[in-house]
Amino acid sequence: MVGLKIKNLSKTLLGMEIIRKVTATFLPGRITALVGPNGAGKTTIFNLICGYLTPDNGAVFYDDEDITGLQPYQVARKGIGRLFQDVRIFEGMTVLENVVTACMPYASESPLFPFMRPLRLSRLYKHARERSCYWLEFVGLYAKKDYPASELSFGQQKLLAIARLLSKGFRVMLLDEPASGLSPIATKKVMATLERIVSEDRDKTIVVVEHNMKVVTEMADWVYFMNEGQVAFFGRTDHVLGAREVREMYLGF
Amino acid sequence: MNYIIHLIIMIAIYLILTLGLNLVVGFGGLLSICQAVFYGIGAYATTLLMMKVGVGFMAAVLLSVLITGIFALAIGIPALKFRGDPFVLVTLGFQAIVFTILYNWVELTRGPYGIPGIPRPSIAGYEVTELPEYLILTSLFAGVIIIFLVIIYRSPFGLALKALRDDEMAAEGLGKPPFYLFLGAFVISGMVASVAGSLYATYVTYIDPTSFTLDESIFLLVILLVGGTGNLKGPVVGTVFLILLPEALRFLGLPDTIAPNVRQILYGLIIVAFMFLRPRGIAGEFKLR
Repeated sequence: MVGLKIKNLSKTLLGMEIIRKVTATFLPGRITALVGPNGAGKTTIFNLICGYLTPDNGAVFYDDEDITGLQPYQVARKGIGRLFQDVRIFEGMTVLENVVTACMPYASESPLFPFMRPLRLSRLYKHARERSCYWLEFVGLYAKKDYPASELSFGQQKLLAIARLLSKGFRVMLLDEPASGLSPIATKKVMATLERIVSEDRDKTIVVVEHNMKVVTEMADWVYFMNEGQVAFFGRTDHVLGAREVREMYLGF
Repeated sequence: MNYIIHLIIMIAIYLILTLGLNLVVGFGGLLSICQAVFYGIGAYATTLLMMKVGVGFMAAVLLSVLITGIFALAIGIPALKFRGDPFVLVTLGFQAIVFTILYNWVELTRGPYGIPGIPRPSIAGYEVTELPEYLILTSLFAGVIIIFLVIIYRSPFGLALKALRDDEMAAEGLGKPPFYLFLGAFVISGMVASVAGSLYATYVTYIDPTSFTLDESIFLLVILLVGGTGNLKGPVVGTVFLILLPEALRFLGLPDTIAPNVRQILYGLIIVAFMFLRPRGIAGEFKLR
């Protein structure tokens, strides 16, 4: 089966069972949301999928391949990208360098590459710069491309992190609170982008963790509602968010 | 004149050391305090290869680079399981181990007595003996290595190291393997230091373990701190400044009885002042953490 699937994932940290037997499927061509109260284990799920944490039990499958226990860089090389809640841009670089770094091919990162393939390297750089400029233009940061990335505001840094992710062309994108800290206009833009990506390329899988219910309602096709480390509800967005229990547990009305 | 040539030769040797270390410290953001180990292994390997095995200078330099590379690999693999302070301590440990071996393995290294009478370099039958000739040789080596390192600085490898330095988690999430990239930087930096060791040994024609102590490793880091890291300018400025500073302090005309102590104190004060005034160094891009 294509897509990303987690099966019976469990994780205990510091004696607390953070994730309890979570099973979920994230299909291509769809935007799936993980929602739930703080501490429900949403970000932990992302960390387990990406290899930053190793599950105690259960497995992660991507296109039927077991990717449990791979290193984070190996997971990324399978085509699974991640947007961090705390953004994590490369502060010692310019805005453009941030994106160029992301979209250089892995093989070019061998220390010997510039000596063995100097011409190819200059072509790769040119291509990477063009692609980076395209995505910077796309998220509205092109005018700032030569600024030190550390001088951007939080919202702009988030857009930069998104540009970095998009330029890499990941097939699966795990987005941890893509809309938090963004202005309404930027939020709209990011949402439109993600929707466009999924509609244009049915091969892309997008999973978002988001607290902004407006964003979830407008964007997500499917929702997993998590509570205390378990999936409490799953279904179409309007069904889940309309459920009385979910409203009481999470939305507070 | 000879004095000035001597200073330029020392600057060239230190440029090789600091620009190599810059790859680990400035690009990788890892504070390694065992660079003098690789400098020393290069110097000893070249000396022993030339004197005991009888190989020529160029072959000795290349073989020393390989030998030092193996040592750098052996030290880097365990050290790079750590980051931050633990990494600093592990490199400190290796610095102590290698120094102790150089100092006590008397059969091989003659220990504290050092090895005198190291042959002058001879390239294609031409023996380098005069100071100006040595200046040309060192400058050529330094030139080639600087070009090599600048290409690496600007390569995707250099960019990936910077990404890991700024945010390891995010860089890893973009498919950059931290362990392998850091290990690559560590080994390259060690191999480059080996060349500096070869040049130093055949220039001074005498080596003993005290040239490759923890003090030396710290001195190399101080050059990077003062000059700045993460680019070419910083280490160059730092090297020139800190090699010439003690020489400049000689001309202060201090009374002989207190001169060495005052110079040492002034030297320390200048470094402290730099940390307050220019935390990124004179021309650095990256603030050491």
